Amino acid sequence: MPILEARNVTREYPMKAETVRALAGVSVAIERGEFVAILGTSGSGKSTLLNLFGGLDRPTGGEILFDGESLAPLSSREMSRYRLRRVGMIFQSFNLIPTMTARENVSLALAFAGLSKTERRKRSLELLDRVGLSQRAEHLPSELSGGEQQRVSIARAIANAPQALLADEPTGNLDSNRAAEVIGLLDEMRRRDGKTVVLVTHDQELAQNFATRIIRLKDGKVV
Amino acid sequence: MNFTDIIALAARNLRQAKLRTSLTVIGVVVGVAAIITMVSFGIGLRRNIIGQALGRLDVFTAMTVFGADTNDMLALRGGRTALDDGEEEDAQDGAKPEDPPSTNSSPAPAPAAARPRRVLDDEALAEIAKLDGVSFAAPIVTFPSFVRFNERTRQQWAAGARAGDDPRLRNLLAGRGFSDENADEVVIKEEFLNGYSDEAFRRRRNRRGNSGGPFRQASDKSDEERKRAAEDALGKEITLYSAPVGDASPTSVFGIPLLDFPSNFPGRSDDGANEVRDEVADRSGFDRYVFRIVGVVKSEDGMGLRVYGRSDFYLPLEKAKRLREANVSPMERMGDALAGHSGYWAAELRVLDPSRIKPVTKRVTDLGFRAFSLANQLEEIERIFLIVNSSLALIGGIALLVASFGISNTMIMSIRERTREIGVMKAIGGSDGEIMRIFFVEASLIGLAGGVMGVIGGWGIDRVANTLANRWVLRQAGQAVRHIEFFSIPWYLSGGAILFAMAISLIAAIYPAMRAARVDPIKALRYE
Repeated sequence: MPILEARNVTREYPMKAETVRALAGVSVAIERGEFVAILGTSGSGKSTLLNLFGGLDRPTGGEILFDGESLAPLSSREMSRYRLRRVGMIFQSFNLIPTMTARENVSLALAFAGLSKTERRKRSLELLDRVGLSQRAEHLPSELSGGEQQRVSIARAIANAPQALLADEPTGNLDSNRAAEVIGLLDEMRRRDGKTVVLVTHDQELAQNFATRIIRLKDGKVV
Repeated sequence: MNFTDIIALAARNLRQAKLRTSLTVIGVVVGVAAIITMVSFGIGLRRNIIGQALGRLDVFTAMTVFGADTNDMLALRGGRTALDDGEEEDAQDGAKPEDPPSTNSSPAPAPAAARPRRVLDDEALAEIAKLDGVSFAAPIVTFPSFVRFNERTRQQWAAGARAGDDPRLRNLLAGRGFSDENADEVVIKEEFLNGYSDEAFRRRRNRRGNSGGPFRQASDKSDEERKRAAEDALGKEITLYSAPVGDASPTSVFGIPLLDFPSNFPGRSDDGANEVRDEVADRSGFDRYVFRIVGVVKSEDGMGLRVYGRSDFYLPLEKAKRLREANVSPMERMGDALAGHSGYWAAELRVLDPSRIKPVTKRVTDLGFRAFSLANQLEEIERIFLIVNSSLALIGGIALLVASFGISNTMIMSIRERTREIGVMKAIGGSDGEIMRIFFVEASLIGLAGGVMGVIGGWGIDRVANTLANRWVLRQAGQAVRHIEFFSIPWYLSGGAILFAMAISLIAAIYPAMRAARVDPIKALRYE
């Protein structure tokens, strides 16, 4: 059974004059332990698809399934639980909270899961150690390099042990060396912990180097 | 996310915008301080007026009975005056309850309950004293007089009191009551001593020149000092200047004296101190009566109701009656003549216990008098205070309402700035409810901080206002008034104000918090 599945998913954004169709009937199945790269030019709908997998958005038509279960009937509160426990999201611009240290940023995700303060402290340091940043735990994002920031956000994404990691152009703001480092880290998560990785990117080379499968989107359709 | 985490997060958010947070909190502080100051004044007023009265044991057993006065008599006679029909007997009869005067011709008699219809004379008083439940009854006899003491002469109101068990003389600081109702004895109130003290005179003199300056602390004597001063006064003599008693004086026409009266005495100094130049008093042709001080009554604390009237000293009742005859004002005397009676205007009554107030009130009213007791009025007074305090709270509440807009504004600003942060929190698993709670807690922290500081601020304002007010009272009253607490901040006021501030803040946060919860994470996270 695929861990993530899109069944004939459409997503339309009603604009003033016309309706923009970001996804026009996409069906994709991602198996457990896969490293799937979704490639496409900008406007191809790849980020939209990732947001649907990440539970940040709901499709206009069709359905998204996680581990065989549709996300459609989930309430907003259940959806937030889904984002907390099932998937971990990583963004191009890191989206760390700038006023919180690396450790606090990771802790925040643990706090939403209801861990106590001491548990959070211990676990967040472990997580930062996993991404090789135990020395930088008390630094603010502004004091960290782009690669370090992205590693903090990976630590945050895996904080509540999700089965799938969804990364949206995680290397877009990084040079090629740091990019390889970050994608390598995701690949390590897959190999060691059996995480499923869905990587949205337009970097062909990176996709070919790491992905077990490449899905190409164009104009909201799988090609 | 548990509650302490939410509080920590909210507090952190507030710390991040220190200036904005402090300005918002100041708005709440002003509102709460306004409520505290306003309401504490109302409560203080109530305490000073009712509380003082309640503190006195006999407030629940005290009653004042009023007889018909000239106006009442004229009203009862249907607007005809005694002079119109020239029948003195008619007026006398009209005063008797068994012969109601208004049966024949009165076109618009006053409501029976409002106006007493019987003259309060000795006979009537004896009747009242015999009523079931009445423990004490004495006429209230007061008149203006000149009194010389401590080498100074002042205009004073004299009052009569019973020998023996007069409740007005019960609260003695030193000495005793009268030995006899004809004795040449006087019981003074503490205020009397204060009024004649060197200090009081110096202060009065200085008031114009202001050489002493307004900044003087109220003299708050210790109980021991008060007692010593009272004991020192015992045995001393006061001199009362009175128009000649029992004199069919050539200076009067139809019993109306033409002599200068204490009430319009020309030698009065005009500085409000009621001080009289000695030579004027000597020249006026008044008789002198000397009384020995045998007792000193404690002053009634506070600025509240002076239950026992404005007189600062008491004479034995029979003496007082005779002196009053000679010293009442021409108007009063003319009134007596017109109404064709000479009763007392009122009498002081005591009942055996508070439960007797109602039945005695009814019986006294049935006899044709008007009865007033503070106990009966308390309910009404309490209601008035409730209204007053609510209005004061409302005024303060408006200030807080204004502050609530500031809170809303601050929260909305903060949400606009933190849209991305909210988006992040949602993306990593924060629920709408949790986001909302963070903002509600932020608002209530503003309310709590503003509330606590507002209570402290209100207390501070009270302290300053109280000090200034006491200085002012001291200068106005011109005698050693004891320090008055104008304000009162009971715990329920502080607690209530803080809770109210928090509640208002929460209400102000409803819209912003909902807006925060509705933030679309995709939009919030899309761009840098």
